[in-house]
Amino acid sequence: MKHLTEDELIEQACGEGAIDSAQHLRGCVECAASLAELKSDLAEVGRVETPQRDELYGERVWQAISGSLVRYAAPHRRWMSFGLMRGLSYAAVCALLVAVAFYAGRKWEQFAGRKSGTPQAAQSAPKKPQQPVVVVVLGDHLDRSERLLVELKHVDTANADMVPPLRDEARSLLKANRICRENAEKVGDEELESALKRLDHLLTEVADEPGGLDAEGIARIKNELNADGLLFEVRVLRSRARDQKPGLVIRLNGGQA
Amino acid sequence: MGQSDHEAIRAVLSGDKDAYAVLVTRHSRTLFRVAYRITGNEADADEVVQDALIRAYRKLESFESRANFGTWIYRIAVRCALDKIGGRKVDDESRIGDEDDREQSEVQVADPAPSPERILLSGEIATVQQAAMHSLTPTERSAFVLRHLEDRSTEEIGAALGIRPNAAKQAVFRAVQKLRRRLAPLRVST
Repeated sequence: MKHLTEDELIEQACGEGAIDSAQHLRGCVECAASLAELKSDLAEVGRVETPQRDELYGERVWQAISGSLVRYAAPHRRWMSFGLMRGLSYAAVCALLVAVAFYAGRKWEQFAGRKSGTPQAAQSAPKKPQQPVVVVVLGDHLDRSERLLVELKHVDTANADMVPPLRDEARSLLKANRICRENAEKVGDEELESALKRLDHLLTEVADEPGGLDAEGIARIKNELNADGLLFEVRVLRSRARDQKPGLVIRLNGGQA
Repeated sequence: MGQSDHEAIRAVLSGDKDAYAVLVTRHSRTLFRVAYRITGNEADADEVVQDALIRAYRKLESFESRANFGTWIYRIAVRCALDKIGGRKVDDESRIGDEDDREQSEVQVADPAPSPERILLSGEIATVQQAAMHSLTPTERSAFVLRHLEDRSTEEIGAALGIRPNAAKQAVFRAVQKLRRRLAPLRVST
């Protein structure tokens, strides 16, 4: 009969032996004695007495170590430091995202503009509410004023259909003339300002003649305001404005281009 | 003293340092027992208990609330005890001596002494048993104590010593083999 090895006996003593070994032990007196001997050895070691510690031992240990323990920070202070850092991190990330989105938007706008052409890109752009901007080109204004003065000079007062368009055109020109005059005053162009001032006077008379324009009223305006002289001045100024490149452009909201 | 371990831990982490006293008084004696069995020395065991409790306090934030504090601090104490006997290994080796000294001690115990010496026999047995325990490596000794004196499973021993369960099992086997050889003369004499 083959007896158990020392390792197998130890396994049995440790309660981890194989089933075959356990069966062998039941039939082998010699191996059973060896196992009992081994268990006795281990029990000898286990009998080594451990010194006892009384109930106050824990308190004595606490007295010994409490001085070397550092109090943990209160939760709110830990939260403050942690939360502040986390909040700042979130804020930084948000700011970065906004900046990136803004930059990407600008780039996309430029890219879309190049790809499809500016007018189309402008059309596709969302329309935002804006202040109305009236662009007045001095040259155009003087052209229209010149035509009005010419028509005024040759108006057939007997033809009732010719007068209302004159009055309407005068009213239309008044606003543009005021803008041009204010701008001439702003830039210190005295010659232009003087001419536009007199033109303003004439346009006002034509636009707001009490009782409507008639032959007598038109004749009065021509004489009193020297319409012919004013026509000459306007032509001179128009020529001068045409020579200036680019032409003077005045915006109603006060801007100038 | 009705405060549970987890309540005490929460209180400590909330800034109440004194709440740790509950845990100290509750677990110190258990820690002393295992520390003494591993170190074999009262002063060392007291030191291990204090070291383990201080180390646990400092790591308390990493303690998982689902775990058992008793098991956790027990493992820490085993590690501290292992460090302690590992650190004084050189001293122990010089104290235990070489193989010749060991043989000599075995012969002395096995010798059937006259009656005055016989009185001291029980003390001699304890001395030999202590010497046998000291002949083990720190890991073997700790593994043996945890298995045969503390009734811990192989998995628990592995976790406490930071080794794989199979390595823990082998350490226990080696320890038993060595102790058996060491204690054989005692068995013969008695």
